[in-house]
Amino acid sequence: MWKNTFFLFFILSACAEELCKPDASNGYKVRLSLKTALGDDAYTWNKNEMFLFQSTLAFAMRTSHTGQSYEISNIVVCNETDRVSFWFVVTSPGNPTELVENYIVEEAIRKSRHRINSAFLLTDKTLEFVGILPTLATPVSYDTPPWLIVFGVLMGIIVAGIIVLLASSIVKRKRKTRRTDEEEADEETRVKTMDNGVYNMSFSVEDKLTQM
Amino acid sequence: MEKDSRPKWDNPTQFLLACVSYAIGLGNVWRFPYLCQMHGGGGFLIPYLLMLFLEGLPLFCLELGIGQKMRQGSVGTFSSINPYLGGVGLASVMTSLYLCLYYNIINAWSFWYLFNSFQSVLPWAECPINTNRTGPVEECERSSPTQYFFFRETLDISSSIEVNGGVHTGQALCLLLAWVITYLFVVKGVKSTGKVVYFTATFPYFVLVIYLIRGVTLHGAANGIKYMFTPKLEQLANPTTWINAATQIFFSLGLGFGSLIAFASYNEYNNNFERQAIAVSLINSGTSIFASIVTFAIYGFKRCVCVTRLLLLNTFDIAEDNITLDTALDWVRELNMTYPEKFAEIADQLQTCDLEKELDTAVEGTGLAFIVYSEAITNMPLSQLWSVLYFFMLLMLGMGSMLGNITGVITPLRDFKFFSKMSNELLNGIVCLFCFLLGLGFSTPSGNYWFTMFNDYGASFSLLFIVFFESIAIVYIYGMKRFEKDMEDMVGHRPNWYWKIMWKVVSPLLLLVVITFYIVGYIQGGTPTYHAWKKELGKTVVTEYPIFGQAFIGLLLASSISCLPIMALYVFCRKRRHGRRDKRQQTVMSVSM
Repeated sequence: MWKNTFFLFFILSACAEELCKPDASNGYKVRLSLKTALGDDAYTWNKNEMFLFQSTLAFAMRTSHTGQSYEISNIVVCNETDRVSFWFVVTSPGNPTELVENYIVEEAIRKSRHRINSAFLLTDKTLEFVGILPTLATPVSYDTPPWLIVFGVLMGIIVAGIIVLLASSIVKRKRKTRRTDEEEADEETRVKTMDNGVYNMSFSVEDKLTQM
Repeated sequence: MEKDSRPKWDNPTQFLLACVSYAIGLGNVWRFPYLCQMHGGGGFLIPYLLMLFLEGLPLFCLELGIGQKMRQGSVGTFSSINPYLGGVGLASVMTSLYLCLYYNIINAWSFWYLFNSFQSVLPWAECPINTNRTGPVEECERSSPTQYFFFRETLDISSSIEVNGGVHTGQALCLLLAWVITYLFVVKGVKSTGKVVYFTATFPYFVLVIYLIRGVTLHGAANGIKYMFTPKLEQLANPTTWINAATQIFFSLGLGFGSLIAFASYNEYNNNFERQAIAVSLINSGTSIFASIVTFAIYGFKRCVCVTRLLLLNTFDIAEDNITLDTALDWVRELNMTYPEKFAEIADQLQTCDLEKELDTAVEGTGLAFIVYSEAITNMPLSQLWSVLYFFMLLMLGMGSMLGNITGVITPLRDFKFFSKMSNELLNGIVCLFCFLLGLGFSTPSGNYWFTMFNDYGASFSLLFIVFFESIAIVYIYGMKRFEKDMEDMVGHRPNWYWKIMWKVVSPLLLLVVITFYIVGYIQGGTPTYHAWKKELGKTVVTEYPIFGQAFIGLLLASSISCLPIMALYVFCRKRRHGRRDKRQQTVMSVSM
């Protein structure tokens, strides 16, 4: 009996091996970029990490495909490379020789993408499922675009500065005209008393007449 | 009476810094590195420095000298030398006006980028997502995020100069801000300008030094700098190299706009302009070289190497550690040999990233400043900080040059009796408002094409013409002997043999050669073309200007050059009319006697 069980298991695993191959119709390629994501803190990819992957994927399948209890053995992996990339297929829990359709797998992965990423401390970019595009985040939309705020602040400061400068020059000019009016009044009385009232032209500095 | 009340710089340092701030502009950052790269790297320094001493330095000193002596703007100065030459000054004013119109739009772009840097993710780092949320916007995917941000979100550019639309609000607001700041800086004439230049002249150096330190620590910097400085001396045999060196020195120093004459006219009579001319010219060239080192350090660090590495890793399933940014290109060669079929599949994706080829296709102008540089910034950690620093530096450079140009327009205007009665603030305000309203045209969808047209034709050839006539006027009509005596009067010694030979023979001759080359170039070049951005292709395409575009180019060129003969004719007619009136008066007086 043991021999039969062993034989059956062998056949089953052999079948599973055949089910999983690169470019399998219902399989997906996974690519991990550990060094890019984690740098020096990157963990080494080994059998234990692969076990975690299989269990996480089984969890994803269970959550999405309700009613079916997927086991780790249903996640078949093959073609591991140094890149840390591999192919996997998902077999149906009822019938281990039958592959689950790719759209069901895709939906499961999409739903639990964030959980899968977190299990490996990776992101959508560093844990790639080739062929499954991550759902893009909603673009952040602002009520007031940030550039307008900075613009408003700067514009306000500059306009305030101009007003201050213009106001100060107007005030200065008013003060000067008041003072020159007073001075002119004094000069007139002085001129009347000192001169005969004749303005001597030879002492004026007229550049316009001596231009080249 | 007018002379003593002419405003003055607070001290000679302000004048020096004003000239430095004016001369050192965006061209030092985005034109010189391009020329250096196109004409043989380190070898280009030979014609460049030679032209500096043969042409740049003498003409610079000449403009400062005549401005300091005459103490008037460009129109008044040349009218004083000979009334028929007033047109030279007027042509300067026209060219300065054209520059004022289009230059501030660059500052508007710098403001736009600066304000947009205050976000957690720089908007030009990633493509925005399209409305279906299925992927990035198509136009962005075909080109690149930085190009998309510049052409679409900043300019909202149309597909050709003929297609137009409404004003881009963001651009218009930034242009308004740029003009308001310009007004603030010049509102009180030299008194306000003099204080501002302390900052606009020195801040760019501060940023360049920081960028140099950042640049040399970047990956690939050594490659970039090595590529730039390896002299390719065979380029020296190409006459275009020498012409480009001559024109670069010429335009870089800002000769012919009347700004230098205007600045110098506010000097003390005994200011040593000779020493300042030498200082500013050397500082200007030194800054160009320094800026190109920084540019190449950053240029060498190109994103495409990262992309190549990723492509190789994913196609050949090699461990991440094995291919680094340094070895990426070696791996390309190795994999090509060992797996030729597999390599052929990705060969076309790799074609666009060959570091040598990347560096060969040099970029200049707005492309370098706003696209290439901003891409390099997105790859640095803390990119918001670098972005703010960089665009603030561009602003300082641009504003400094703007100050000079606006002064070059306002100072001659004040020489006219009509305008001199107006207060400083009012005249400056009117000029700024006028330029702003006309400049709004550059913020329309086809605005960038008009900008390129103005940039290429509005203030290039006419300047050569103007400066040629300036030098002839000063050296031969005003007289070398008189100028030497003036210099002795002002500075304390006569110009030595170097200055005399350059002023009398070498510089005018060089200018004549360059003008001839330009004319030949225009004639041989055929229909003028521009680069039109095509949305569907995601890149620029060389297009011919339509008829009205070509007519406008002709108008731009003719309008400033024709000032010379028109003014001369006007003066001639006026003199004849006055001459007839004087003769009649004399006969009347002799009769009455």
